[in-house]
Amino acid sequence: MATIAVPLGGQEARQEIETVRRPALSEYLRWSVDHKIIGVQYGVTALLFFIVGGALAMGIRLELWTPELDLMVSGAAYNSLFTMHGTIMIFLFIIPMWAAYGNFVVPLQLGAKDMAFPWLNAFAFWLIPPAGVVMLLGYFVSPAEAGWTSYPPLSTLFSGDGQTLWALGAHLLGLSSILGSINFIVTILNMRPPEMTIWRMPLLCWAVLATSIIAVMATPFLAGALTLLLLDRMTGTTFFDAAGGGDVLLWQNIFWFYSHPAVYIMVLPGMGVLSEVLAIHSRKPVFGYRMVGLSSMAIAIVGFTVWAHHMFTSLQPELRIPFMITTMIIAVPTGIKMFSWLGTIWGGKIRFTSAMLFALGFMSMFVIGGITGVMLAALPFDIHVHDTYFVVSHFHFVLFGGSVFAIYAALYHWFPKITGRMMDETLGRIHFVFTYFGFLITFFPMHIVGMLGMPRRVAVYDPAFTDFNRLISFAAFVLGFSTFIVLYNIVRSYFHGPIAGANPWRALTLEWATTSPPPPTNFHEDPIPYEDPYGYGTEAATAYIEAIDMAFDRRDPASAGAD
Amino acid sequence: MESVDLSMTSAIKRAEKQKISDQRAAALRLKNNRLGMNIFQLSWIMAFVALIVVNWQLRFNYSQWPPAGVPPFDLFLPSAATLALLCSSVMVAQALKALRSGFAAAFLVKWRLAIGLGTLFMAIIVYEFLNVSDAAMATQYGNTFRLMTGFHFVHALAILAILCRVYQGARLGKYAGAEQDSWAVEGAAKLWHFVSFAWMLFYAVLYWIR
Repeated sequence: MATIAVPLGGQEARQEIETVRRPALSEYLRWSVDHKIIGVQYGVTALLFFIVGGALAMGIRLELWTPELDLMVSGAAYNSLFTMHGTIMIFLFIIPMWAAYGNFVVPLQLGAKDMAFPWLNAFAFWLIPPAGVVMLLGYFVSPAEAGWTSYPPLSTLFSGDGQTLWALGAHLLGLSSILGSINFIVTILNMRPPEMTIWRMPLLCWAVLATSIIAVMATPFLAGALTLLLLDRMTGTTFFDAAGGGDVLLWQNIFWFYSHPAVYIMVLPGMGVLSEVLAIHSRKPVFGYRMVGLSSMAIAIVGFTVWAHHMFTSLQPELRIPFMITTMIIAVPTGIKMFSWLGTIWGGKIRFTSAMLFALGFMSMFVIGGITGVMLAALPFDIHVHDTYFVVSHFHFVLFGGSVFAIYAALYHWFPKITGRMMDETLGRIHFVFTYFGFLITFFPMHIVGMLGMPRRVAVYDPAFTDFNRLISFAAFVLGFSTFIVLYNIVRSYFHGPIAGANPWRALTLEWATTSPPPPTNFHEDPIPYEDPYGYGTEAATAYIEAIDMAFDRRDPASAGAD
Repeated sequence: MESVDLSMTSAIKRAEKQKISDQRAAALRLKNNRLGMNIFQLSWIMAFVALIVVNWQLRFNYSQWPPAGVPPFDLFLPSAATLALLCSSVMVAQALKALRSGFAAAFLVKWRLAIGLGTLFMAIIVYEFLNVSDAAMATQYGNTFRLMTGFHFVHALAILAILCRVYQGARLGKYAGAEQDSWAVEGAAKLWHFVSFAWMLFYAVLYWIR
């Protein structure tokens, strides 16, 4: 039998466990260099922006209830509405939300005491609230109305001063993202315990590593593009103005060279979460561990070669085919992941916890988003549905059905570790049902209206699409309502949830081998990781989990389920 | 008596253990700093590459480069500036070597020289920035020139300020020769090499690749 490695134990550890308390709420409002506090700060900030962005989405759907202008005074007002919705959801919700989980979980999974650069970590977080405020202020002066992609000449000739503030805010957020990512890479590469080789690292760490590599290599391009935009708007240069020898396609190239990889920044950590949640909640090793880790890297690398598929209608024709091919190639590593997830849960002892339900929801939705992605990669089809609701549907299946479902799965999975209390599983399941069907009925019909020819980014549409739009809007309101269930669940569980204990899911990764919430230094002594982060189903694994139980909880061993 | 002895030995042992863990922490910090710096350099050079892409793509809007009727930039002064910057970078490396070998005085001389050469470089670039001809400024030839030199200048200025700050600290004897006690010097030197490297890319694109 394998040796039973126990993370830590003994009298000293036990004494410390007695004194671990949740940080006071005021801790979260201050500058702190503790990665766990910063993680929660990221998370709560992102959640607040999620509510704002969601409210804007409700505004969009309310406007589209009828084919005429009613809620908005003009098309321009509608433009600024969806501009802010997209910007907030991407830059201020999804990207910071992954930084939240990365910050909280990654150092714990590595058995480290903190991130490599704690001060830099805090600095990266504190760039976000001012950037968000600057962007939101822009909405109230004279809003940006060029969409989250800010194509010139819309963003140079037609948008108000809000566009300048938008660019400033995005600049700050890019800087924050680069600094945070440098921190993740150094932490993951340098701060693992000696027993944990890179091939024994939890898959969330692999995913965060790949994400961070993308972020550090791509985000400087965003900085370059935004610098040009600011100069054009404020100093009268003509980089995007054909009359002065500039080129509007310049923006599209530089912007998408960042923003296509940014799509993977938004979804790769979700894929890492999925590998964790599916293995733990179906009590089976991850199927094809190495291939999953490597496919994250493959996505990171191939992700840099596909940007011009956003420009199929504006690109030189001879460049279209190469970009079509690279775009189709990137479906391969994604398919490897999908295959691994199915293989992981196949024949497993599945527990339908809320986290597991959202992970399964991710799989079913993301595969639709992935398939429509390959459809859109096909040039003839893309030219047909270019700028229609088909595209809107595609990226919501990837970013809501993908990223947001994974964010929810991660929330239900790690909430006990973060707060020390379990979330309410019944409310979690109700939340899942509302979200799943609300989402599906909101976004699936958009494929159809898109193929029938309804253009995106319009407030006034052909009355023939009214019925479809009513259905979509109704489902969207259900989806919006479902958010309140999880918000209520978070607040209620934070105060009244059952005590979680160190390892409620009986997991093997190191973040569960300490108290919930962990003490300020995370571990009392250097923890010893189990030889395989997902080696469920062996006697040694059971013994390791029982050792954790014995060390941290005085729980009756009989009440804990067998593996 | 015996118990006192025991507690003393355990105190000594604990102190030794503490010393070892402090050393380990310092070594890890240095390792982290170095890797972090390398990643930052790899990352931020992409911002300069982005501007090179801008320059390159805008050239397609003209049948020739520099555009018809625009005289190409004079090579003499910028080349002298480039040479000064390269020497400055070498000086910084030499200074670091001197510090590591324990020659604090030589370090100060070489570091000062590096700051001087860096200042000379920047003075020339400012002169060039201010003296772009009107004909050039009417085209992207002048526009991208100012964009790129200006962007580089901001970085050079910030990092030169760091070099000056390190010089100040070094005069007060803040940095010992050991690697773990002089990260600030090493980091500043690496940032300055970054400035030189970025400028070499820009120099080639702005003046040589037509």
